[in-house]
Amino acid sequence: MQNNDINRQDQEILELLKDYPMPAADAGFYDQALVRATHEGSRRQRNRWLLTGFGAAIAATIAVWMIGGMLLTSQQLPDAGAAIPGVTIALEQSRTVNLVFASATALESATLTVSLPDGIELSGFPGQREITWETSLNEGKNLLPLTLVALKPTGGELLARLEHDERNRTFRLRVDVT
Amino acid sequence: MRPHFDRLYRLAWRLTGAKAEAEDLFQELLIKAFGKLDDLVVIDAPGPWLCRVMYNLFIDEKRRFARGRIHTVEEGQLGGEGIASLPGSDDPVHDNQRLEKLKQLDKALAQLSDEHRMVVLLHDAEGYKLAEIEELTGTPVGTVKSRLHRARARLREILTADGTIS
Repeated sequence: MQNNDINRQDQEILELLKDYPMPAADAGFYDQALVRATHEGSRRQRNRWLLTGFGAAIAATIAVWMIGGMLLTSQQLPDAGAAIPGVTIALEQSRTVNLVFASATALESATLTVSLPDGIELSGFPGQREITWETSLNEGKNLLPLTLVALKPTGGELLARLEHDERNRTFRLRVDVT
Repeated sequence: MRPHFDRLYRLAWRLTGAKAEAEDLFQELLIKAFGKLDDLVVIDAPGPWLCRVMYNLFIDEKRRFARGRIHTVEEGQLGGEGIASLPGSDDPVHDNQRLEKLKQLDKALAQLSDEHRMVVLLHDAEGYKLAEIEELTGTPVGTVKSRLHRARARLREILTADGTIS
Protein backbone atom coordinates (compact mmCIF):
# COMPACT_ATOMS: atom_id res chain seq x y z
CA MET A 1 0.00 0.00 0.00
CA GLN A 2 1.24 3.49 -0.85
CA ASN A 3 2.25 5.84 1.95
CA ASN A 4 -0.22 8.37 0.56
CA ASP A 5 -3.06 5.88 1.00
CA ILE A 6 -2.01 5.12 4.57
CA ASN A 7 -1.81 8.80 5.43
CA ARG A 8 -5.24 9.45 3.94
CA GLN A 9 -6.76 6.50 5.81
CA ASP A 10 -5.12 7.57 9.06
CA GLN A 11 -6.52 11.03 8.54
CA GLU A 12 -10.00 9.65 7.99
CA ILE A 13 -9.74 7.50 11.13
CA LEU A 14 -8.52 10.50 13.08
CA GLU A 15 -11.52 12.53 11.95
CA LEU A 16 -13.85 9.71 12.93
CA LEU A 17 -12.18 9.46 16.34
CA LYS A 18 -12.64 13.18 16.90
CA ASP A 19 -16.34 12.71 16.16
CA TYR A 20 -16.56 9.58 18.27
CA PRO A 21 -19.61 10.43 20.31
CA MET A 22 -19.87 10.71 24.01
CA PRO A 23 -22.88 12.03 25.87
CA ALA A 24 -22.63 14.88 28.31
CA ALA A 25 -23.47 14.19 31.93
CA ASP A 26 -27.17 14.30 32.72
CA ALA A 27 -28.44 17.55 34.15
CA GLY A 28 -28.01 17.46 37.91
CA PHE A 29 -25.66 14.46 37.86
CA TYR A 30 -22.69 16.43 39.19
CA ASP A 31 -24.76 17.88 42.04
CA GLN A 32 -26.14 14.47 42.98
CA ALA A 33 -22.69 12.92 42.80
CA LEU A 34 -21.33 15.59 45.13
CA VAL A 35 -24.09 15.00 47.67
CA ARG A 36 -23.54 11.22 47.55
CA ALA A 37 -19.78 11.69 47.87
CA THR A 38 -20.23 13.88 50.93
CA HIS A 39 -22.41 11.35 52.70
CA GLU A 40 -20.55 8.26 51.59
CA GLY A 41 -17.17 9.87 52.23
CA SER A 42 -18.19 10.67 55.80
CA ARG A 43 -19.43 7.14 56.36
CA ARG A 44 -16.23 5.59 55.01
CA GLN A 45 -14.13 7.98 57.04
CA ARG A 46 -15.82 6.84 60.21
CA ASN A 47 -15.31 3.23 59.28
CA ARG A 48 -11.66 3.72 58.49
CA TRP A 49 -10.62 2.42 61.86
CA LEU A 50 -8.57 -0.35 60.51
CA LEU A 51 -5.43 1.53 59.72
CA THR A 52 -2.84 -0.45 61.58
CA GLY A 53 0.26 0.44 59.66
CA PHE A 54 0.37 4.15 59.07
CA GLY A 55 3.02 6.78 58.86
CA ALA A 56 2.74 10.20 57.35
CA ALA A 57 -1.00 10.22 57.56
CA ILE A 58 -0.89 10.62 61.28
CA ALA A 59 1.12 13.79 61.28
CA ALA A 60 -1.91 15.56 62.68
CA THR A 61 -2.46 12.90 65.25
CA ILE A 62 -3.29 14.39 68.59
CA ALA A 63 -3.61 11.49 70.97
CA VAL A 64 -2.80 7.88 71.55
CA TRP A 65 -5.26 6.03 73.65
CA MET A 66 -4.48 2.78 75.30
CA ILE A 67 -7.51 0.58 75.50
CA GLY A 68 -8.38 -3.06 75.51
CA GLY A 69 -7.59 -5.77 77.97
CA MET A 70 -6.92 -4.44 81.42
CA LEU A 71 -6.64 -0.89 80.20
CA LEU A 72 -10.29 -0.66 79.30
CA THR A 73 -11.46 -1.28 82.83
CA SER A 74 -11.68 2.33 83.86
CA GLN A 75 -15.25 3.54 84.37
CA GLN A 76 -14.26 7.12 84.91
CA LEU A 77 -13.34 10.14 82.90
CA PRO A 78 -9.67 10.96 82.85
CA ASP A 79 -8.39 13.14 85.64
CA ALA A 80 -9.92 16.57 85.18
CA GLY A 81 -6.64 18.15 86.03
CA ALA A 82 -4.78 16.29 83.33
CA ALA A 83 -3.80 18.25 80.26
CA ILE A 84 -6.46 18.00 77.59
CA PRO A 85 -5.19 17.83 74.02
CA GLY A 86 -6.57 20.51 71.77
CA VAL A 87 -6.93 21.66 68.20
CA THR A 88 -7.69 25.01 66.66
CA ILE A 89 -10.09 25.45 63.77
CA ALA A 90 -10.74 28.56 61.73
CA LEU A 91 -14.35 29.73 61.76
CA GLU A 92 -16.42 28.21 58.93
CA GLN A 93 -13.49 26.01 57.96
CA SER A 94 -13.14 22.27 58.33
CA ARG A 95 -10.24 20.40 59.82
CA THR A 96 -9.64 16.69 59.98
CA VAL A 97 -8.50 15.48 63.36
CA ASN A 98 -7.09 12.00 63.66
CA LEU A 99 -7.68 10.14 66.88
CA VAL A 100 -5.44 7.15 67.37
CA PHE A 101 -6.47 4.25 69.52
CA ALA A 102 -4.03 1.55 70.48
CA SER A 103 -5.81 -1.59 71.49
CA ALA A 104 -4.12 -4.55 73.16
CA THR A 105 -6.61 -6.92 71.58
CA ALA A 106 -9.05 -6.91 68.70
CA LEU A 107 -12.48 -5.66 69.80
CA GLU A 108 -15.69 -6.53 68.01
CA SER A 109 -18.84 -4.43 68.26
CA ALA A 110 -17.48 -1.53 70.18
CA THR A 111 -19.70 1.55 70.33
CA LEU A 112 -18.29 4.98 69.76
CA THR A 113 -20.20 8.14 70.63
CA VAL A 114 -18.93 11.54 69.65
CA SER A 115 -20.45 14.52 71.49
CA LEU A 116 -19.79 17.91 69.98
CA PRO A 117 -19.70 21.33 71.61
CA ASP A 118 -22.08 24.02 70.46
CA GLY A 119 -21.06 25.45 67.10
CA ILE A 120 -18.93 22.49 66.06
CA GLU A 121 -20.26 19.92 63.61
CA LEU A 122 -19.00 16.67 62.21
CA SER A 123 -18.83 16.92 58.42
CA GLY A 124 -21.71 15.03 56.87
CA PHE A 125 -23.88 15.33 59.99
CA PRO A 126 -25.28 18.83 59.92
CA GLY A 127 -27.14 19.86 63.08
CA GLN A 128 -26.24 16.72 65.07
CA ARG A 129 -24.58 17.24 68.43
CA GLU A 130 -24.15 13.55 69.23
CA ILE A 131 -23.31 10.80 66.75
CA THR A 132 -23.09 7.14 67.68
CA TRP A 133 -21.97 4.19 65.62
CA GLU A 134 -20.75 0.67 66.09
CA THR A 135 -17.30 -0.36 64.99
CA SER A 136 -14.52 -2.86 65.49
CA LEU A 137 -10.96 -2.29 66.50
CA ASN A 138 -7.95 -4.22 65.37
CA GLU A 139 -5.19 -5.24 67.65
CA GLY A 140 -2.65 -2.47 67.51
CA LYS A 141 -3.15 1.09 66.38
CA ASN A 142 -6.47 2.20 64.92
CA LEU A 143 -7.03 5.55 63.28
CA LEU A 144 -10.28 7.49 63.46
CA PRO A 145 -10.35 10.63 61.30
CA LEU A 146 -13.03 13.16 62.27
CA THR A 147 -13.63 16.15 60.02
CA LEU A 148 -14.82 18.98 62.22
CA VAL A 149 -16.47 22.15 60.98
CA ALA A 150 -16.64 25.31 63.09
CA LEU A 151 -19.90 27.21 62.63
CA LYS A 152 -19.65 29.49 65.68
CA PRO A 153 -16.63 31.11 67.32
CA THR A 154 -17.36 29.54 70.69
CA GLY A 155 -15.46 26.25 70.63
CA GLY A 156 -15.60 23.87 73.56
CA GLU A 157 -14.89 20.28 74.44
CA LEU A 158 -15.44 17.27 72.21
CA LEU A 159 -16.04 13.95 73.92
CA ALA A 160 -15.40 10.62 72.23
CA ARG A 161 -16.75 7.77 74.34
CA LEU A 162 -15.83 4.20 73.48
CA GLU A 163 -17.79 1.35 75.02
CA HIS A 164 -17.20 -2.37 74.81
CA ASP A 165 -19.03 -4.93 76.90
CA GLU A 166 -19.59 -2.99 80.10
CA ARG A 167 -16.37 -1.07 80.00
CA ASN A 168 -15.84 2.36 78.60
CA ARG A 169 -13.36 5.16 78.19
CA THR A 170 -13.99 8.78 77.33
CA PHE A 171 -11.56 10.87 75.39
CA ARG A 172 -11.67 14.68 75.67
CA LEU A 173 -10.50 17.09 73.06
CA ARG A 174 -10.44 20.86 73.42
CA VAL A 175 -11.62 22.60 70.25
CA ASP A 176 -10.76 26.28 69.89
CA VAL A 177 -12.11 28.41 67.09
CA THR A 178 -10.29 31.41 65.67
CA MET B 1 -13.06 20.48 41.94
CA ARG B 2 -16.02 21.56 39.83
CA PRO B 3 -13.97 23.14 37.02
CA HIS B 4 -12.52 19.67 36.36
CA PHE B 5 -15.79 17.77 36.30
CA ASP B 6 -16.40 17.80 32.55
CA ARG B 7 -12.90 16.59 31.76
CA LEU B 8 -13.12 13.92 34.45
CA TYR B 9 -16.51 12.75 33.23
CA ARG B 10 -15.17 12.48 29.69
CA LEU B 11 -12.17 10.52 30.95
CA ALA B 12 -14.49 8.17 32.84
CA TRP B 13 -16.44 7.62 29.65
CA ARG B 14 -13.31 6.96 27.62
CA LEU B 15 -12.01 4.50 30.17
CA THR B 16 -15.19 2.53 30.72
CA GLY B 17 -16.99 2.98 27.41
CA ALA B 18 -20.47 3.06 28.95
CA LYS B 19 -22.61 5.55 30.77
CA ALA B 20 -23.51 3.60 33.91
CA GLU B 21 -19.91 2.53 34.52
CA ALA B 22 -18.63 6.03 33.76
CA GLU B 23 -21.02 7.45 36.34
CA ASP B 24 -19.94 4.80 38.87
CA LEU B 25 -16.28 5.60 38.27
CA PHE B 26 -16.89 9.34 38.51
CA GLN B 27 -18.83 8.83 41.74
CA GLU B 28 -16.11 6.65 43.21
CA LEU B 29 -13.53 9.31 42.39
CA LEU B 30 -15.52 11.99 44.20
CA ILE B 31 -15.87 9.80 47.28
CA LYS B 32 -12.14 9.18 47.27
CA ALA B 33 -11.39 12.85 46.69
CA PHE B 34 -13.75 13.78 49.53
CA GLY B 35 -11.39 12.08 51.95
CA LYS B 36 -8.48 14.06 50.52
CA LEU B 37 -10.01 17.51 50.55
CA ASP B 38 -7.29 18.86 52.79
CA ASP B 39 -4.65 17.56 50.39
CA LEU B 40 -6.49 18.90 47.36
CA VAL B 41 -6.26 22.42 48.72
CA VAL B 42 -2.48 22.27 48.61
CA ILE B 43 -2.02 20.26 45.41
CA ASP B 44 -0.69 22.56 42.69
CA ALA B 45 -2.54 20.92 39.83
CA PRO B 46 -5.59 19.04 41.11
CA GLY B 47 -6.81 18.29 37.58
CA PRO B 48 -4.00 15.90 36.59
CA TRP B 49 -3.99 14.48 40.11
CA LEU B 50 -7.70 13.71 39.91
CA CYS B 51 -7.22 12.15 36.46
CA ARG B 52 -4.49 9.90 37.85
CA VAL B 53 -6.64 8.86 40.79
CA MET B 54 -9.49 8.06 38.41
CA TYR B 55 -7.20 6.03 36.17
CA ASN B 56 -5.85 4.07 39.15
CA LEU B 57 -9.38 3.43 40.40
CA PHE B 58 -10.29 2.14 36.98
CA ILE B 59 -7.28 -0.16 36.86
CA ASP B 60 -7.89 -1.42 40.40
CA GLU B 61 -11.50 -2.26 39.70
CA LYS B 62 -11.34 -2.91 35.99
CA ARG B 63 -13.79 -5.76 36.03
CA ARG B 64 -16.39 -3.66 37.74
CA PHE B 65 -16.00 -0.57 35.63
CA ALA B 66 -15.32 -2.12 32.25
CA ARG B 67 -18.12 -4.66 32.20
CA GLY B 68 -20.36 -2.74 29.85
CA ARG B 69 -18.30 -1.59 26.90
CA ILE B 70 -20.61 -0.35 24.23
CA HIS B 71 -20.65 -2.24 20.99
CA THR B 72 -22.82 0.04 18.93
CA VAL B 73 -23.35 3.73 18.75
CA GLU B 74 -27.02 4.52 19.00
CA GLU B 75 -28.27 7.96 18.20
CA GLY B 76 -29.66 8.20 21.70
CA GLN B 77 -26.14 7.95 23.04
CA LEU B 78 -24.93 10.93 21.09
CA GLY B 79 -24.39 14.16 22.96
CA GLY B 80 -26.45 17.31 22.53
CA GLU B 81 -29.20 16.83 19.98
CA GLY B 82 -28.12 13.42 18.77
CA ILE B 83 -27.05 13.13 15.20
CA ALA B 84 -27.92 16.76 14.62
CA SER B 85 -25.00 17.59 16.87
CA LEU B 86 -22.56 15.98 14.46
CA PRO B 87 -20.88 18.18 11.86
CA GLY B 88 -22.66 18.35 8.51
CA SER B 89 -26.13 17.91 9.94
CA ASP B 90 -27.63 19.72 6.98
CA ASP B 91 -26.89 16.67 4.83
CA PRO B 92 -28.95 13.66 6.03
CA VAL B 93 -27.31 11.22 3.61
CA HIS B 94 -23.85 12.24 4.71
CA ASP B 95 -24.95 12.04 8.34
CA ASN B 96 -26.25 8.49 7.95
CA GLN B 97 -23.01 7.41 6.31
CA ARG B 98 -21.05 9.03 9.09
CA LEU B 99 -23.14 7.35 11.77
CA GLU B 100 -22.56 4.00 10.08
CA LYS B 101 -18.83 4.66 10.06
CA LEU B 102 -18.92 5.57 13.73
CA LYS B 103 -20.66 2.30 14.50
CA GLN B 104 -17.94 0.44 12.63
CA LEU B 105 -15.30 2.45 14.44
CA ASP B 106 -16.86 1.47 17.74
CA LYS B 107 -16.74 -2.20 16.78
CA ALA B 108 -13.12 -1.82 15.70
CA LEU B 109 -12.20 -0.13 18.97
CA ALA B 110 -13.78 -3.02 20.85
CA GLN B 111 -11.32 -5.36 19.11
CA LEU B 112 -8.27 -3.50 20.41
CA SER B 113 -6.55 -4.41 23.64
CA ASP B 114 -7.44 -2.21 26.61
CA GLU B 115 -4.06 -0.49 26.49
CA HIS B 116 -4.28 0.25 22.77
CA ARG B 117 -7.89 1.41 22.92
CA MET B 118 -7.17 3.68 25.85
CA VAL B 119 -4.18 5.36 24.29
CA VAL B 120 -5.85 5.96 20.93
CA LEU B 121 -9.00 7.37 22.57
CA LEU B 122 -7.11 9.60 24.96
CA HIS B 123 -4.70 10.88 22.32
CA ASP B 124 -6.73 10.99 19.12
CA ALA B 125 -10.25 11.49 20.44
CA GLU B 126 -9.62 13.52 23.59
CA GLY B 127 -6.48 15.36 22.57
CA TYR B 128 -4.28 14.31 25.49
CA LYS B 129 -0.59 14.86 24.82
CA LEU B 130 1.79 11.91 24.99
CA ALA B 131 3.40 13.33 28.13
CA GLU B 132 -0.03 13.67 29.74
CA ILE B 133 -0.80 10.02 29.00
CA GLU B 134 2.56 9.08 30.46
CA GLU B 135 1.74 10.99 33.62
CA LEU B 136 -1.77 9.60 33.77
CA THR B 137 -0.94 5.95 33.24
CA GLY B 138 2.62 5.78 34.49
CA THR B 139 3.61 4.26 31.15
CA PRO B 140 6.86 5.59 29.61
CA VAL B 141 6.24 7.93 26.71
CA GLY B 142 8.12 5.62 24.32
CA THR B 143 5.72 2.80 25.15
CA VAL B 144 2.75 5.14 24.77
CA LYS B 145 4.02 6.15 21.31
CA SER B 146 4.48 2.57 20.30
CA ARG B 147 0.99 1.61 21.50
CA LEU B 148 -0.52 4.54 19.65
CA HIS B 149 1.25 3.53 16.45
CA ARG B 150 0.08 -0.07 16.76
CA ALA B 151 -3.45 0.92 17.72
CA ARG B 152 -3.78 3.15 14.67
CA ALA B 153 -2.36 0.45 12.42
CA ARG B 154 -4.81 -2.10 13.80
CA LEU B 155 -7.74 0.27 13.37
CA ARG B 156 -6.68 0.93 9.78
CA GLU B 157 -6.46 -2.78 9.15
CA ILE B 158 -9.93 -3.49 10.57
CA LEU B 159 -11.66 -0.53 8.97
CA THR B 160 -10.21 -1.13 5.52
CA ALA B 161 -11.07 -4.82 5.72
CA ASP B 162 -14.74 -4.10 6.46
CA GLY B 163 -14.91 -1.34 3.86
CA THR B 164 -15.49 1.52 6.27
CA ILE B 165 -12.55 3.37 4.76
CA SER B 166 -10.90 2.78 1.43
